[in-house]
Formats: sequence, structure tokens, C-alpha cells
Amino acid sequence: MTITDDTRDGDADHRADTGHGAGQAPLFGTGSRFQEFLNDPRWALAVIRATVLEAAHPQVGAALLENSTFVAHPWRRLRNTLRSLQRMCGDDDEARHREAARLNRLHARLSGTDPQGRPYDARDPAVRAWVVATLFESTVTMCRLSGQPLEQEVMERLYTEFRAYLALMEDDAGQLPDTLPEFWTYYDRIVTHELENTEAMRIILYRLFDHLPAPPVLGGLPTLWAAGRAVTGPLIGAITVASLPEPFRRRAGLPETPGAQTLMQGAYLAVGLARFLPDGWIRADAVADLLALSPDSDDPRARTIAALHHRMKRAGALIRLITPFPPVPEPTTPNTTRRSAEEFFREVLDQTGDGYLDWPDLAAMARELSTRLDLDEPEETRLYHAHADWWRELQQALDTDGDGRVSAHEYASAVPSLAGPALIRVAEVLFDVADTDGDQRIDADEYRALFQTGFHRDTHRTDGAYTRSAFINDFLSFMSGRLRSTPYDPVIAQA
Amino acid sequence: MTAGHSVDDPSEDPNPVVRPTGGASPRKVPRHVACVMDGNGRWAAQRSLPRTSGHRAAETTVIDVIEAARAAGVEWLSLYAFSTENWGRPSTEVDYLMHLVRRVVRKHAPLLHARGIRCRFLGASDSRIPPALARDVADLMTLTGDNRGMTLTVAFDHGGRRDIVEAARSLIRAGVPAEAVTEQSFAAHLPFPDTPDVDLVIRTSGEQRISNFMLWQVAYAEWIFPPVLWPDFRAPHFLACLRTYQHRDRRFGGVVPQQNGASRP
Repeated sequence: MTITDDTRDGDADHRADTGHGAGQAPLFGTGSRFQEFLNDPRWALAVIRATVLEAAHPQVGAALLENSTFVAHPWRRLRNTLRSLQRMCGDDDEARHREAARLNRLHARLSGTDPQGRPYDARDPAVRAWVVATLFESTVTMCRLSGQPLEQEVMERLYTEFRAYLALMEDDAGQLPDTLPEFWTYYDRIVTHELENTEAMRIILYRLFDHLPAPPVLGGLPTLWAAGRAVTGPLIGAITVASLPEPFRRRAGLPETPGAQTLMQGAYLAVGLARFLPDGWIRADAVADLLALSPDSDDPRARTIAALHHRMKRAGALIRLITPFPPVPEPTTPNTTRRSAEEFFREVLDQTGDGYLDWPDLAAMARELSTRLDLDEPEETRLYHAHADWWRELQQALDTDGDGRVSAHEYASAVPSLAGPALIRVAEVLFDVADTDGDQRIDADEYRALFQTGFHRDTHRTDGAYTRSAFINDFLSFMSGRLRSTPYDPVIAQA
Repeated sequence: MTAGHSVDDPSEDPNPVVRPTGGASPRKVPRHVACVMDGNGRWAAQRSLPRTSGHRAAETTVIDVIEAARAAGVEWLSLYAFSTENWGRPSTEVDYLMHLVRRVVRKHAPLLHARGIRCRFLGASDSRIPPALARDVADLMTLTGDNRGMTLTVAFDHGGRRDIVEAARSLIRAGVPAEAVTEQSFAAHLPFPDTPDVDLVIRTSGEQRISNFMLWQVAYAEWIFPPVLWPDFRAPHFLACLRTYQHRDRRFGGVVPQQNGASRP
């Protein structure tokens, strides 16, 4: 896919890269158009729509399907995305460039071939341009659909900001047309000629919201969560489908449900009413953080959350007790300290949620850990290499049918003792990169960077630090002993 | 089996065991009362009914006793519902009992909660317990866990010896050195360690046995054996037993009682 016709030289973009044009509103940070939208509740709908349009692009769809953790760990993924967006659009120029470099490294690791044998590469400039284009177009459409269309100059300003965003990563926003009228030609062309009904898109539209696991905060109310999800899941799907461009709906063969258009416009309009709420009530990052907050952490809000969690559990218990015919409970009780092999496979190992353990699963684990620790090179590469070696070790030991990946069945029937040398190496490297000052102990600050919580009472450690052997021991008992663990569960296993 | 006893009409002679002593013991309401609910089968047999209807008739008594104990100011009430040995009964009866307990739990859960009663189930860990019942039990414990009124402990699938063995295991696992094991530290490893010692055990139907019930906690308990069968046992019987207790002279073998658990704030 090339867009050479639209490619011009990147003068304007290099100017944009400084972030502050003379006498103009800033392109990033406070005062930019984009930041106004980041906390707009309508953006939730717009981002789902943008994600569907991204996933409909064959290359992006393949990359998402193979590598993304959004099916198994959607809440963690959402929080990471928001945090990244915030760094990219915040006031701090240095943080922005670091984040862009981090994203570049991250994308460089996402390449491969899709099931039809077509190659994909997350660093392909055309692919990245399309991702930014969907975000921009969805923001504009969101305003249109909720009855508050953007004025022409605001739209142009917003477009400049999005191009600057792309330029941050690419050095050059050349893959996106210079002007807004050219953009619409480009957009329509991709929609009509390049988008497909991809597997990833169908998963987002029809499976993700029907199977969305409860966020950690609502973990105590599985019945209520499932009931709410059964109603809202298909609704979100229908709303999103109705908001997609008509030529694409026709090409992809998406259903036209009667009333869906009205429903969709009603939803956008209703969510848009939230703008009358007082300032600061809705902040996307605060909401996402809160949802991902585990009641066990020592965050000051966690006590309130824990109390709330407890109340919800009691409410859930009461509801179940007074329901005449409650559903038959699942036979397994999740509160044992040791996971069964299937549980461990599903919650910890299979990060992409496709039912197989493959390199992308372990890469996702390495990605999550290096995001947590905010690693730079060469530590990040060391961590990835350690995970890659671990993957080869697992593959050799467990892939009995030789298809290159490990199924849940292969894992469960082998009931492996996974503490091979490569896994121990992962633990060692993780200790090294977490021990930022290199004093061979994880002190309280380093511990917080990794687990986002203070030392837990049960960590056996002396004088307020965590020794190498204790750290490696705990990591191995989590990974190979399949023990539930207060610090590691929120990092790797939580939804 | 004391065969000489027959069913007593509760209105007639509430409790022949009452023997007033001129004792100077303080007339205090017992803090922890336990009931061994015995006689359901005989109650049914006397009426030529199936054994299961005896269990069903027990439900009324349970609710009556809970209410009477709460009103009398008893802080802890324990009921012995089903012992580990009862799994040996005919499977239809066991199934019926499981179903009955589930129905009772669900039926009375809101009422118990509204009365501020904290409910707990001692035992209730066997895999033979149907998952639906196990969840209802867990839900009831979650729901009423913060209540500050009377604590109702239902010994369900309970065995006194098993609890002691579990405590010993837990001590060994915790790596406590042999010299450090005291009665108090041992008691801290029993299930629900905050449960105080039992002051009074009421075993209905005239049977005079312990039957592996809360062995550790009944060490200094007073025992009363009213001949009434459990389905006929009512609040007046319960109060009569409390009166008898108040007239007993508790000496604790001449030693200062070492009670488990601190009083709740």
C-alpha cells in the first residue's frame, strides 16, 4: 500500500515537532484541541469505532490478532493506551519524545505474517498513518453524530495536531496528506479499497464486549457483571456498526439492524450530554486507573475501593440469596492459593487469549514488564531476549505435536515443572532491570515501580529491601509453582 | 439411648432437669450456648412419618431458638447440624438434608441479616457438599460477616477431632517450636479462633453423649439433657435451660477459666 501521490516534503511537520508554533495555540499539551477531547466521554465510543476501522485494515488487523492482549487483559491494555496517549499529548516535551521512542521500539517488535501469508509490520509508515487517520476521523465523526459538528477551522487545527502526533514517531507525517480536503480523498480511498472484513474486526465487534472480563474493581460481582454485559455487549456492537462508513459496511457485509441508526445517534447524543457535568468529573485516566485498581494495593484510594468492593460483594451475596432460581455455580472455587494448570494457562501464559501459547504471548509479558518499569535500551532488549529464550525452552519441552505453539491441552497434559534455566534467567534479568541503582536489592521505590504497590507484609525480606534470591524465588513460585501472588497477579494475570 | 423417655408436651413440664441449687454463682446469661439438635428421626418415627419430615419440622425450632437466644442476650449460639459421621446415613436422607439446609439458608437469610446476626458455618468444606449449597453458605457468611449482634455458628459437616487435627497441622506448618505451644496458642489455630469457650451445651432428646462436637471448646461447658425431642423444643424450653444454667455452680475444676477469644468491641 503506497500513497505516494499525497506524499510531500515534511517541512510543516518539522515545525510542528517543536510543539509550539509562534503565536499559535500549542500542538500538544494544555490548550491543544486534542487534549479537550481526551477527557470527553463521547471519546469512548469514538475510540471503539476507530479501533474497529483500524482492525479492518488487513495489516493492522493481523498485528492486533497475533500480538494484542486486548481480549484477555482489556483493562490493562486500556490503561496502558491512555497512559501512552497522555505522555504523547502532555506538556512535557522530553516525556513525549521518550514515549515516541518507546512506541517505535514496541512497534519494531510487532511484525510477522498473517494466516494468509501476507506480511505485516507495525512500523510500516502507511499503517501508522492509517491508525492516526482513524482516530482523527472518528473524533470528527463523533462530533457530527452527537449534533455538535466541528467548525472548519477547528477541524483543520485538529488535523494539524494529529499530523504532528504522527510526525513525532515518523519524523515526517508524509503518509498523511498535507491538507484536510486531500485527507478526505485519502480516507475514502482506503475505506473503499483497502479495508476488509478481518478476523480482528469481527472479534472486536462481536466477541470482545460479549466476553469482556470484569474490571478488577468489580471482580466481586460476576453475576451482575455478566448480566449487564449481556445487554450492553451487543448494544455496543450495534452502535459501532451503525457508525461505520456506509461503503465499508456494504463491502464487509455488516448487518443493517432496524433502528440501529437512531440508537447510535441517541447514544452519541446522550453521552455528549455529560459535557454539562462540572469540570474534572470525568477524566479518562482517573476512571481507567480506578477500574484497574486492585483492592489489595496500598494506594490511598484502595481502602475506599476495598470497602466498596466488600459492600458490592455483600450486595451480590444478598441478590443471589433472594433470587428464586440462581444459576448453578461453576464448580471451581477461585480462592485457592494454587492455580490449576488450565487456570494458569488462561490467566497467566496465554496473554493474547487465543487459546495457544506462542511467542506473542511471552512478548506481551515482556512488553508489559518493560512498560511498567519504563525501561530504555539496552535493558528492554535484554528482557525481551530472556523471554525469547524462555519461549524456546517452553516450546521444546511442551510442543508435542510440533505445530510451533503450545495448546492448553498440551500444557495441561504435560503438567510441566517450568523452572528451567531459561525461566531462572528471566527472573535474574527482571531483577537486574528492576534494580535500577544496581545495589543488588530491590528497595521500596524500585518495588513500587514494578508492582505499583508497597512491600506486602508477607514478602520475606530483611531491613526493608528485597534480596536477589528472595525475588527470584518468588518469581519462580509464581511462574512454575502456579502460586497466586499478591504482587505478580495484578501485573500479569489481571484483566 | 435412654429408651425410657417419651415426648413431652412443651406446655406441661418444660424441663425436668431443672434442679435449683441455693448456689451463690452469679446469675449470668451464658455467653456461648451450643445446641445438639437430636431427636428428629425419633420424632418422625413416633408419628409414623418418614425421617425426612422430622428434619423439616426442626426448621421451626431452629428459628425459635435463634430468636429466644438473641432476646435473652446470648452472644454466641452454636448449632450442631450435621457431623462428619452423618455422611454414612442413607444417601436419600443426606440429599434431602442438603436440600433442606439450602432452602432454610435462602429462606431466612434476609431475616437473619435484618436481625443483625452474624452467621458462620463450621466445617462445610467437604467436596461432597453440593456446590450450590456451598455458595449459598459462603454468600450468607459474606452477607452477615459485619453484623454486630449475636454470632450464630452452624456446625455443618463438623468433627471436633478433625478441627484439632487441623489446628495441629496448621501449627506444624507455621513452624512453631514444640515448647512454644500453649493452650492459648493452640486455640488460635482452630477454625474461627475468636469463638469463646462454650458455657452451656443443650442436647435434646435425652441422649447423653458428646458425639465429637466442638471438643476443644466444650472443656468446661455445663451440659443439660432435656428429654424433649428437637422438633418439639421451643423458646420456653430454651429459657428453662438458661435458668438451670444460672443455678449451676461453675467451678472450672478450681482453676481460673482460660477463655478463648477476646470479647468483641
